[in-house]
Amino acid sequence: MAKGKDPIFGIGRLDEELSGIPARKGVLFFASPAVGNEVFGYQLIQNNLIHNNKVLLYLNRASPKAYLADMKEYDFITNDNLSMIDSYSGITGINSSDGSIGRMIKNPYDKEEIKKAITDELEKDYDLIVIDSLSLIADFFDFDFALSIVDLINNKIKNSDSSAVFLFTDWNYGEDNVDKLISKVNARVDIKGIEKRVIFGQYFAVIKCDWVIGKKFTSVLFKSVKPGGIKIYFPKILVTGPTDAGKTSFIHSASKDAISVDRLGGTIALDHGNVDFKGYKADLFGTPGQERFDPLLKLLGGEAVGVILIIDSTKPTQFPRAIEMLRKTETYGLPIVVVANKANMPGALGIDEVRDKLHLEKEAPLIQTVAENVENIDPNKPAKLKKEGIEAALSALFEELT
Amino acid sequence: MIKTGISSFDDSVGGIDLRKTYLLSGNKESNKEDFIYRAVTSALQSKVAVVYVTTGKPVSDVLSEFSSKHLNIAQYLGTSLKLIDVYSRSITPQAGDNNYTKMLNGPLDLTGLSVALSAMNADMSKEGIPVLNIIDSLSVLLLYNNPTTMYRFLQFVCGRAKMAGISSVFLIDNEMHAPDVNETIKSLMDAVISLKMEGGKRTFKVSGNAKEVLDWKDI
Repeated sequence: MAKGKDPIFGIGRLDEELSGIPARKGVLFFASPAVGNEVFGYQLIQNNLIHNNKVLLYLNRASPKAYLADMKEYDFITNDNLSMIDSYSGITGINSSDGSIGRMIKNPYDKEEIKKAITDELEKDYDLIVIDSLSLIADFFDFDFALSIVDLINNKIKNSDSSAVFLFTDWNYGEDNVDKLISKVNARVDIKGIEKRVIFGQYFAVIKCDWVIGKKFTSVLFKSVKPGGIKIYFPKILVTGPTDAGKTSFIHSASKDAISVDRLGGTIALDHGNVDFKGYKADLFGTPGQERFDPLLKLLGGEAVGVILIIDSTKPTQFPRAIEMLRKTETYGLPIVVVANKANMPGALGIDEVRDKLHLEKEAPLIQTVAENVENIDPNKPAKLKKEGIEAALSALFEELT
Repeated sequence: MIKTGISSFDDSVGGIDLRKTYLLSGNKESNKEDFIYRAVTSALQSKVAVVYVTTGKPVSDVLSEFSSKHLNIAQYLGTSLKLIDVYSRSITPQAGDNNYTKMLNGPLDLTGLSVALSAMNADMSKEGIPVLNIIDSLSVLLLYNNPTTMYRFLQFVCGRAKMAGISSVFLIDNEMHAPDVNETIKSLMDAVISLKMEGGKRTFKVSGNAKEVLDWKDI
């Protein structure tokens, strides 16, 4: 009997969608050759080790030391709960494993030795078995042998409390082979690139999962970040609204590294910041509010995937301008969150009044924000907005986007 | 056309065509490295971005060899010249990336190589300048991976490079591999540049290019 909890993906979005990896289930990470899946493996292993799950890693893609060094670059540190079957060092003839972390396959070209090593290790109680990589097994031998390894592991986990994850890159092995493989796993997560001439983005998507019924899964953009690992990524979020509503304050409060092109506290070109929040990563682009800069609005709105519209709760006369700015940025139809800033200032409208005057639908997210130290605000510098409002706005937008 | 800086080659062939994949084939004595080092230097001087993949020696050795031939490329490192080191981690597992080198885990990690090439090509293509990929060499990858795996890999990376408008040159020591392997790899390329040394002279020929040189010609 395995000792830990049910394994998890360690990637927030997958755990939210699939509630981890139940016992006796096999998951296939199915990557295209131009998009790596190794970081999914690192993050999965790291998070299960932290959760006190015992993990067995069959490794044929790198030496154990190189693998651990690579994990470390993402700030993923392993512990005694990790064991490895080293099926790499015997190929290069360089034994880079000191033997303390598992066993080494002496002849990685010997199918029987590989099967025996896996079979022997499976007798021990692991919570999670990770194969990195299944496609290299197919490359080394043949696809049928790779399928037989999947069967071997499936048979074991079906009779225990273990789960398994297979990392696989689809190097054009043929539809029949791939179909057979997919039929043998309980869940499949595709990892692919968004490409025109070159790949300019990456996404993952749950294509199949037999333990979650009746749910529609969406594709999720991500970046692999060192350190940190998989970060859900939205390329561009536009922050717009009338002059002095608090766009710059919002971006500076939401980001650690925001910059502004401004003059005497007024934005004259753009604000930019990076947001790293609950596993989601986003670029915030803020527009100037003054009408003389309106020609920039369309440019700044291009390729945005979501909008935060900032309004000053004390200035309802600016609300038509806010709506005009949405039109000029050509972002109608994108997910939007309205931030009613300065909500605690004298004369500020309440949430229902703001909603009414902006003609917002009842379901449209509307978040109130306030500054931290109203009495100390320097009009030439961005004010620091309270964390609660910032986080509520970001949560609402990310929920809309996903 | 990307000029190689080798006048006899550039005069006869014009240089390396954009969007084309070349196999640079020859044995150890043919001195493929000298040909490619000069071509890389010439490309960089002509504002072409270069991704250099080294599979059989560390990046530090590659840079030393450029230097020993008085080919000054240091100024391009990290900007228009980036390298992928497939070798070093086999010897030093902890070897880490720097601003001009991406370390891969070893010659079996063809997926890692494909991903790294793709990422560097994407970054460089955004600059709107021509890009040249050099893979030095396929022979080391063929020592560790079976030929079918290599054909799949080559088909993918060549296809992607062409789609992105990128030129690629793959070096191979043809005498290390069986004739059928050499022939299959040739068939995956647009053109083949063959080098050899004979009678104390280094010569080349080119087939599959718009301008071919079918008789051995002095470099």
